[in-house]
Amino acid sequence: MEKIQKFLLKNSAVFASVLAVIFAFLVVGILLLSSGRNPVEAFGYFLDGAFGDMFNFANTVSRVVPLLIAAIAFIIGAKCSVFNVGIEGQLLLGALASAVVGYIIELPKAIHLPLTLLAGTLAGGLYALIPGWLKVYRKVNEILSTIMLNYPAFFFNHYIVLNVTPLEGVIPATPFVNETAKFINLVPGTRLHAGVIVAAIVVVAAYILLQRTTMGYEMRAVGFNQEAARYHGIPVEKRMMLAFFISGCLAGLAGAVEMAGVHYRYLDQFSPGYGYDSITVAMVGLLHPFGAIFSATLFGALKTGILDMAVYTEIPRQLVTLINGIVVLFISAKSLVQTQFTQVFKGRQSNPSSEEK
Amino acid sequence: MEFDLQDILKDIFTLSLGFATIRISISIVFASMGEMITERSGVLNMGVEGIMLMGAFTAAVTTHFLGNPWIGLLFAGLAGMLIGLIFAFIAITVKSDQAITGLAVYLLGVGLSGYLLQVFFKHGGNTPKVETLPIMHLAFLENIPIINDIFNDQSVLMIPALLLPILLYILFYKTPWGTWLRATGENPKALAVVGKNPITIRYLAVMAGSFLAGIGGAYLSISQTSLFSERMVNGRGFIALSAVIFGNVKPAGVFAAAMFFSFMDALQYSLQTVIPDQYFPREVFMALPYVITLLILAGFIKQSKGPADITNPYEKESR
Repeated sequence: MEKIQKFLLKNSAVFASVLAVIFAFLVVGILLLSSGRNPVEAFGYFLDGAFGDMFNFANTVSRVVPLLIAAIAFIIGAKCSVFNVGIEGQLLLGALASAVVGYIIELPKAIHLPLTLLAGTLAGGLYALIPGWLKVYRKVNEILSTIMLNYPAFFFNHYIVLNVTPLEGVIPATPFVNETAKFINLVPGTRLHAGVIVAAIVVVAAYILLQRTTMGYEMRAVGFNQEAARYHGIPVEKRMMLAFFISGCLAGLAGAVEMAGVHYRYLDQFSPGYGYDSITVAMVGLLHPFGAIFSATLFGALKTGILDMAVYTEIPRQLVTLINGIVVLFISAKSLVQTQFTQVFKGRQSNPSSEEK
Repeated sequence: MEFDLQDILKDIFTLSLGFATIRISISIVFASMGEMITERSGVLNMGVEGIMLMGAFTAAVTTHFLGNPWIGLLFAGLAGMLIGLIFAFIAITVKSDQAITGLAVYLLGVGLSGYLLQVFFKHGGNTPKVETLPIMHLAFLENIPIINDIFNDQSVLMIPALLLPILLYILFYKTPWGTWLRATGENPKALAVVGKNPITIRYLAVMAGSFLAGIGGAYLSISQTSLFSERMVNGRGFIALSAVIFGNVKPAGVFAAAMFFSFMDALQYSLQTVIPDQYFPREVFMALPYVITLLILAGFIKQSKGPADITNPYEKESR
């Protein structure tokens, strides 16, 4: 019994996170019921749409790729107390930069594809240095600045696509990239592409950076207690700027991978809010790279599953955004669950620390 | 075609630019005044944008079904308050990180308004046209040249928007409630010693602020335009937040900042129409309000001094 208690206590954050998701689904179920829909039937369509067969599953995984990379972008920032809400804008810029490099340059694939991804990565990273500078040297709250910087990024891309790059057809988009700048498709007929390997590498690299390197340790120390970190000689400003840069780089990479794997060009408004969803994914994943794999899968499934559900039932696809909001709300309240947990179990154990209170 | 700078300037700086500034400012003034009350109590609510969205949505929907924009306005304020209550519970009682809770409220506002819009109206990204709040024609202004062009025939909500900073100034600095509110933001423990409950005051401040944010949203959907469309608040909530910072969390300053940002937005629209697209891309002007807001924040924030206890949860016993 004591072992179970210890286990529950140690993992209270995980349970709080899982509970937040369950609560969110319950709320959504009630919402569906109250508007006269059958939540069980809806859930069936959702599961079928997300995992029903090989094709649906492959499509779900293809959605997981940008979500996961973008979530890692948020995690790296958040670990250093940098809340990058501008992932959407950085992702759009990354996708555009990579598309331009993809269609203008002609090179062998072994060089061209990495170069394409690198262009997107740098575009996102450099753009993130602006809110970085604003926060570190001018004390501007980064949630405010990053959200506001999403607008100029969007307008910039819109302008480039309409006025600078040649238009093919009526859709605002860049020309298609050369074959050498594309990821190969893994399951014909679906959107699943080799970019999934990039996502895997990003997850492992982020884990190693955060947990196994001095740099990562210092970044986490800044996130944990800035003043203490400074006292111990960690260059707080530099580490924060680095967190902004890496975060932006990964956001740009997420856009580049989506461009090179799914659309093969920069398509205006191609992102269904990956940047915003990534925040939820990162939080549900407890700001841990491996945790993000689970939550990205959940939200990737939500994206494909709910689109399918929206076709068969009258439930609007905006349900995804709603679920996001509710989940983040519950996650932000998760300390409530955690303290309950701690009180319930510590109270029974009657150890000295609980008597102190 | 030759550029004549003088002609262009004449076309830009017209009286209708002043009219547009006031027209745009009303929603930002309501939202920023509300956020100022909230921040004075020591709570930072970054979810203003989401609350405004819910206000705009609720106003349009209730007006559509009940036919009376005044009821729509009231419900928008109440909807804002309800969201504010949820935020207050998580931020104040549960003591969660206020920035993240605000972010959640923003995402919730975007999601809930977008979802309910589809539930109520099935197709398209907006509601049908609804009745709007009356336009106010003031006969006595007709003889005053410039004032008449700028302030006459604005929405009826212009009057409370212009009075709000004055009322809040009196409330903050001339009444005991204002003293308690400010003390809650500066030193809640000292207030508790006097026998006032900082938690209650923070709850009230958040709900009052959210009520005003809801009204600011409602203005967009049932006065400035006559329908709700998805994400129609379009960053105004964040501009309002910036105005509170830029204005040093004080009524006159915040009002001036809100007016300045509104002027920038009005100027941007005017530039778009006056300067032809082939000379200067429209997108540059569209991005202008956001860029200028950030530049100003970058220049001023270090001097800005908000309440001392902002974002700190209130703990009863000190340890």
